[in-house]
Formats: sequence, C-alpha cells, structure tokens
Amino acid sequence: MNRRHIVPPPSPPGCADDLPGWSEGLTRWLIQHAARNAPSALSERLEEEWLADLAERSGALARLRFGIGCCWATRVIAYEYSVPKVLAAASTTGNKVMNAYAQPDYSLFSRRTLAFVLIVGLHGIFIFALANGLVHTAIEVIPHRIQAIVLPGIQTPVEQPPPISQPTLSATVVRIPQREETPEFPPENLPTERGVGAQVEGPGAPPPSTPVHSVTRVLGGPGKAFPNTNDFYPSRAIRNGEKGVVTVNACVDDKGRLTAAPTVAKTSGSASLDDGALQLAKAGSGHYRPTTEDGRPVSSCYEFMVRYQLKE
Amino acid sequence: MGKDRNVRMSLQTLKVLEAFLENPTDELSGSDVQKRSSLASGTLYPILLRLESAGWFVSRWETIDPSSAGRPRRRLYRLTPTGLTRASEVFASFGRGVLA
Repeated sequence: MNRRHIVPPPSPPGCADDLPGWSEGLTRWLIQHAARNAPSALSERLEEEWLADLAERSGALARLRFGIGCCWATRVIAYEYSVPKVLAAASTTGNKVMNAYAQPDYSLFSRRTLAFVLIVGLHGIFIFALANGLVHTAIEVIPHRIQAIVLPGIQTPVEQPPPISQPTLSATVVRIPQREETPEFPPENLPTERGVGAQVEGPGAPPPSTPVHSVTRVLGGPGKAFPNTNDFYPSRAIRNGEKGVVTVNACVDDKGRLTAAPTVAKTSGSASLDDGALQLAKAGSGHYRPTTEDGRPVSSCYEFMVRYQLKE
Repeated sequence: MGKDRNVRMSLQTLKVLEAFLENPTDELSGSDVQKRSSLASGTLYPILLRLESAGWFVSRWETIDPSSAGRPRRRLYRLTPTGLTRASEVFASFGRGVLA
C-alpha cells in the first residue's frame, strides 16, 4: 500500500494528555525505525499495523514497551525472511553467492559496542567483588587470635661447689724452709677460690675446719610487668604464617634494666621473628627480674626464649 | 510464501493459537491477540507472520474510514480452515481436546 495512505493514529482518549511528549515521540520513532528496517515487502504494512495497535494501548510505559518489542520483532522477522532467500540463492547459484551475501544488520547496537559494554561490565563486577567479597575473604584467612608466649628463662643449675672432703693428712712431714724474711703477703691475702675457704697446709697447722661458703644464684628473666608479646609479633610474619622460638641473650643490672643491647643467641630461622624478639627485649628494659645471689639482685647476663605461634 | 507448512510449535505459538481457538471465526488484531495471550509484541508479531506464511492464518485490513472512526485501521487475522484443522490436531496431541 502507499505510505501516504497511512493515517497517523490519534492517541487514545485520556492518555495523550498525561503522556510526556518525549515518550510518545520516542515510541513512535522506535516503531517507525523498526518497520523501516523490516524486509521491504512488509515495511509499510508493519508500520501501519503497529501504529494502529499502539493506539489501543494506554500508559506511557506499556506503549514504550510495545515500541521496543517491535524493534525485536523486526529483528526476528528479518532473520526468518533472510533464511529462505539465502537457501534459494545457494540452491541455484552455489555457495559463492552465499559467501557474498551481505545480511543487513537490524540490531540497535553493533557487535563491537556490545563487546565493549560486556568488557566494561565484567571489569565493573570484578572491581566490585574485589572491593567487597574478596577482601573480606582475605581478612578472614588471617587468624583472629594470636598468642605469643615468653618462656621462662633458662634455669641453668647453679653450680654448687662440690663438697670438699676432708683432706687426708699423710704422715709426711713437710719441711718448711726457714726463711728469715717476713713473707710479703700475709696468709690472708693469698688468692682464694671463690666460695671455697682457703686452706693452709703446713706442719703444725690445724686441720682445715673453715666452713664451705656456697652461693645460691637464681637467674633472672622477664618480670611480671614485661611487655605483652602479642604486640611484638611482626605483621609480616603473621601474614606469612611464620612461627618459631627465638632465644635472646640479655644483660641486666640489679634494677632489671638492660646494660647492653640484647642479642639473638639462637635464631628461629625467621629474620622478622628475630627482630620482633629483639624489639620485645629492648622494650622490656626495666621490667626484667634480675638475677639474685643469696637473695640479693646482681647484674648478670642470661638467656630467655620467646615463642611465636599462631593460634588456629 | 508456502501454504500449509509445518510450524515449529513453542509455548508462545500455542498461546496464540489458543487465543484464536476461543472462537475460531473471530477476526483478531494483533492487539486483541496480545490481550488474550499476554505475549510481548516482540514475540507476538513474528508468530503471526510465521503462521500466516504457513497458511494457518489469513489477514486483511479493517474496512473502516479512519477519519470517521477516529482511529487507524487495524490488521485483522483469522484462522483458515487448514489452520483450524492443524491447530486442533496440535492441541489434541497434547490431550487438551480444545475443539472436541
């Protein structure tokens, strides 16, 4: 039929007045655009038919949906009409015709645009997942509770001087050469062994009866107010799941303060754990329990162990 | 266009046929079928054209004067005798017995 015979459909009563102008215009443009992209034999018929059916619809949204649906209908109709043509051409002239056949693209967007939108969408989803779910999962992997235990200092047994047995005096008489000079050092100034009474052996000397003096030595260690070891678990070691025991050598005065920089006596195998243990030892200066000898605090050096372990 | 061709049956096609089988002599526009079948326009019109190409439907323009009627003329579809037979067979095969 001739296009000039198409009468623009009037808007349905009670509908046109409350429709936004752009919506009505957009719907009509969609229908006309779809009809013009349809196969030429059906183009005018479909445009008039769809505009007539559009006039029976009320509501801006329903009319807009109708227009969009017509665009999709055009795509399907064009595809179904193109298939018989291609088959007919192929049957008469061979495959070369099929290769040269250019099928019109009835889609609203090109494939390149759709691919671009798809890629952007996937990137957006990935970034959103990173910003929410995956980060949350990564945090959950790290254990909540971490426990670091400072082992008590190595209690090395205090060397008790072996009991001195009563010397067996032989009957041999030791002759002391007569000296005319007065000895330079009185007997009491002779060097004595620590903790052991001096013994003077000589003719006429009384049997040794000096009591043995022993020292009770208790090594010190981290005191009660020692810093919390959890604060010195290196974060890098936590992330790497490192754990182990570091033996630290600390020299402490009688007030529990460091007198020298602590050193690692035995490494844990992890440099970060060793550093953390040294930081802990330095921070604990003033909070060490000094070594005592007979109950009196004295300066000393001793070792203690810091155990790093991850609580499951 | 070939006549009395086989038509690929889908749920949407059955809905369209069911809309016509309510009263096989009725002539329905696309808008009427859409109201009965609740199909979207993007689905409905290809089916109507497909069934018309297969010879199950015939269509014609409504004979009205658009200016006096106050609306454009519509395209009306009607079942052909072939379409009626084939549609009845289809529904009978599904055990519906629409025209029994």
